[in-house]
Amino acid sequence: METRPVGVIGAGSFGAAIANLLAENGPVLLYERNKEIAAQMTRDRKVRGFDLHANIQIAESMEQVASLCYLIFPAVPSQYFKSMIGDFSPYLRADHIMIHTTKGLHCDFDIETADAKTLRLKDIKTMSELILQETGIVRVGSIAGPNLALELMEKQPAATVVASRFDEVIREGVAALKSDRLQVYGTRDILGIELTGVLKNYVALAAGAMSGLGYGENAKALLVTRGMAEMIYIGHALGADKRSFLGMAGIGDLIATCSSPKSRNFTVGYRIAKGEKLNDILASLGEVAEGVRTVKIAKLIVDHEGINAPLLQTIYKVLFEDLTMERAVKMLMRYPVSDDAEYLNL
Amino acid sequence: MSRREYKSSDYPLPYVIENVNDWPIARLSTDKESFVEEVKARVREKITARFNTSKALREELAKVLYQERIRLTGKPWKADPPDEAKFWSSIKSKLIKIEQLDSNSTITETELLEEIIDRYANEIVGDFSPRAFGFARAILPQFFGRVLAAAPGKWFKTFAGNVRTIHEKIPITGDVEKIRHLSTKGTVVVVPTHFSNMDSIMVGWLLNEMGLPAFTYGAGLNLFSIGLLSFFMSRLGAYKLDRRKKNTVYLETLKLYSTVALQRGAHSIFFPGGTRSRSGQLESKLKLGLLGTAIEAQKLHYKNFPEETAPKLFVVPCVINYHFVLEAQGLINDYLAETGKEKFFRENDEYSTSFKLVRFIYKFLSASSSLSVSFGDVMDVLGNKVDAEGESHNHLGQKIHVKNYFMTNGELKDDEQRDAEYTKILGERIVENYHRYNVVLTSHLVCFTVFELLKKKYTGYDLFTLLRTPANEISLPYAEVTEKVNELKERLKVLNEQKEVQISPELRWNVDKIIDHGMRNINLYHTASPLTKEGDFIGTEDLKLLYYYHNRLEGYGLEKLI
Repeated sequence: METRPVGVIGAGSFGAAIANLLAENGPVLLYERNKEIAAQMTRDRKVRGFDLHANIQIAESMEQVASLCYLIFPAVPSQYFKSMIGDFSPYLRADHIMIHTTKGLHCDFDIETADAKTLRLKDIKTMSELILQETGIVRVGSIAGPNLALELMEKQPAATVVASRFDEVIREGVAALKSDRLQVYGTRDILGIELTGVLKNYVALAAGAMSGLGYGENAKALLVTRGMAEMIYIGHALGADKRSFLGMAGIGDLIATCSSPKSRNFTVGYRIAKGEKLNDILASLGEVAEGVRTVKIAKLIVDHEGINAPLLQTIYKVLFEDLTMERAVKMLMRYPVSDDAEYLNL
Repeated sequence: MSRREYKSSDYPLPYVIENVNDWPIARLSTDKESFVEEVKARVREKITARFNTSKALREELAKVLYQERIRLTGKPWKADPPDEAKFWSSIKSKLIKIEQLDSNSTITETELLEEIIDRYANEIVGDFSPRAFGFARAILPQFFGRVLAAAPGKWFKTFAGNVRTIHEKIPITGDVEKIRHLSTKGTVVVVPTHFSNMDSIMVGWLLNEMGLPAFTYGAGLNLFSIGLLSFFMSRLGAYKLDRRKKNTVYLETLKLYSTVALQRGAHSIFFPGGTRSRSGQLESKLKLGLLGTAIEAQKLHYKNFPEETAPKLFVVPCVINYHFVLEAQGLINDYLAETGKEKFFRENDEYSTSFKLVRFIYKFLSASSSLSVSFGDVMDVLGNKVDAEGESHNHLGQKIHVKNYFMTNGELKDDEQRDAEYTKILGERIVENYHRYNVVLTSHLVCFTVFELLKKKYTGYDLFTLLRTPANEISLPYAEVTEKVNELKERLKVLNEQKEVQISPELRWNVDKIIDHGMRNINLYHTASPLTKEGDFIGTEDLKLLYYYHNRLEGYGLEKLI
């Protein structure tokens, strides 16, 4: 059997990291929509300051990726995902396997003006649902885990989870990704894996805020543990398996993002706690902090479903309703609690 | 090709294949021996591949034996062969000999397996006799003509009268011409909803009216205990399904029987609900076993033929609507008694003798009830719509190659888990079709409205408490019912325009006429009327039946308007 290259769409930090990982196991075709960056990568063989693996070729077009690759990893931020997949769609076929790496949710409505009561849950889509909706591909998967792009680029050890309702997609994903520095786990609960990847963003934001307030590890551990419990409740209400939240993409990713000042969401929380205004932070960051959008969407879901999510509700107030961090912490600490690890009974 | 609409007077349509002996099912019957041999060989291959050591196979056979012996402790069915006990005890002693590594044992595990497969395959296999078919074709129109004639009292006239008048009321909607055309290009799998034991006969007859070659379908073994029914079914392409047998060897034999029949081009009917809807709801979760054989057959076509010439399978959902269901009482009782529990199939005694069957048919015929059958989208085995020439188009309208679904890294691959997921996807498409092509009849609407109003009136009662309330204590002001029927009717019209549901022409009448029509039709058969009217009040004599008929309109969000 001939070896076809694996396709990667998007040479952002995660796209570049994943391309380098895949390249250790075989040829990779990397597509970057920005022509200048693409040309520069071709010329300098560098991406974001790191060397491009020799197995990576820069693709000329999406069409080329579709015609040469059977396995494709899109790594595009969620707000560009729909337009990317729409452009890609005419070239995609049912024998393509697509494993996306994007943590985010797409809404068919305007989240700024949406009403939690009247919205329809089916109008909120995970990236895999978006792929199914916008393309003729059926075999879709997702990866998530404690995968900070920079550490992956530095070739540090890590682990990730490939999720798909198709075992075949999991097998292909594992075979393409696994190496001496990356453990790859599998699960059929793709919804759980996608949701945990999204929801952890707001917990990371809160962790950044705790750090910004100068609190230590006890407070952070409290936050992470109860944050995970809350994620489980939300995920469960949407039909996900709680195990996904307790696995590599759940608690694993949560620990990584909540301990890392490198994460964007953490940074936003940190600077909020230091008294900066959200708009100023976002303007200066340049890059997207998915967590801010997640807070809005997750709040819509929680209000729609009537789920108890004190942490999320409090963070929402801090970000958008001028609640001070000090008061927020007080509110949360006074919140009545009962049994430990009660979410295991779900 | 432009779509051709047929008028009722066009039926029966000319056969797409004139000579009955050229029909796929007739050929299957002519080649019966080689067909059964192929099924047997493939079951053996599959089972021995899965249990690939003699120890594993022996253990599996022991399991089969155990399950069969448990079945034998139950009451035998009339259709069971008399030598059941003898057969299985001989299997038992042979298995013991093998297990004891008895040097006198001349038989191996595989041979024992073959013996079991042989028995199952010969039990399942159906037949098709053009002669019996000709006979049935002559009498069935009389039979169904009565069902379709509108006014009560006319049945004897129709029964004895002109056969032509029967076809005036053929209630088929859907793209009949496309189905006819595609039946000559590939294999058609009709997937109907299942409410009544009349369904298979009804669908079989309507497909015949459409000029299609006879279809094969699995009929419950219990139905074969009725002499008259058994005589016809076993000669008209029905094969036998025994839901009591759940062991791997039996299930594989059944699946491969269906797969090989499809591969040999036999148009098939699958009732994916598995069994009649107990609750009266449209099927929302399908039993996918046999549906998966359509996907398997399609994949094998791509394996055995170049893509351009590989035969294609076409899946056509079909919704049957009756104003009343003869078995309603028994079904809803079963449902309520067994809610949430998997139950053991008992032999159905609704018409366990020819006499009961005739009585059943008589009732069916002497009650005036309109029915309708609507065919949904013609799809490929992945649930993509196909055009008039059978080409698949995905939900984006892109023309696609079905073969690609079975390809991995450029090669056709077997993958049971993948195909099981594909079967679920196909099942989802079929369920969507059921809801979209469901035809709302007046009786459904009135029952739904009345029951929902009762639920609202008795808020705080759970379903079972409500259903136990003495029926004579229950009544609703007629005016309240008319108001809500009217609202729901308007909502249904909107849903109809959005192509979410079909509505019968009577739903365009005024409310009083709708209620009157609905009540008249539903009360025709049942001794305790699901709906009664006394003065200015609507009541019921049987809450459970009312609930049963109400369930038909679940899933459209109509309850929010109550």
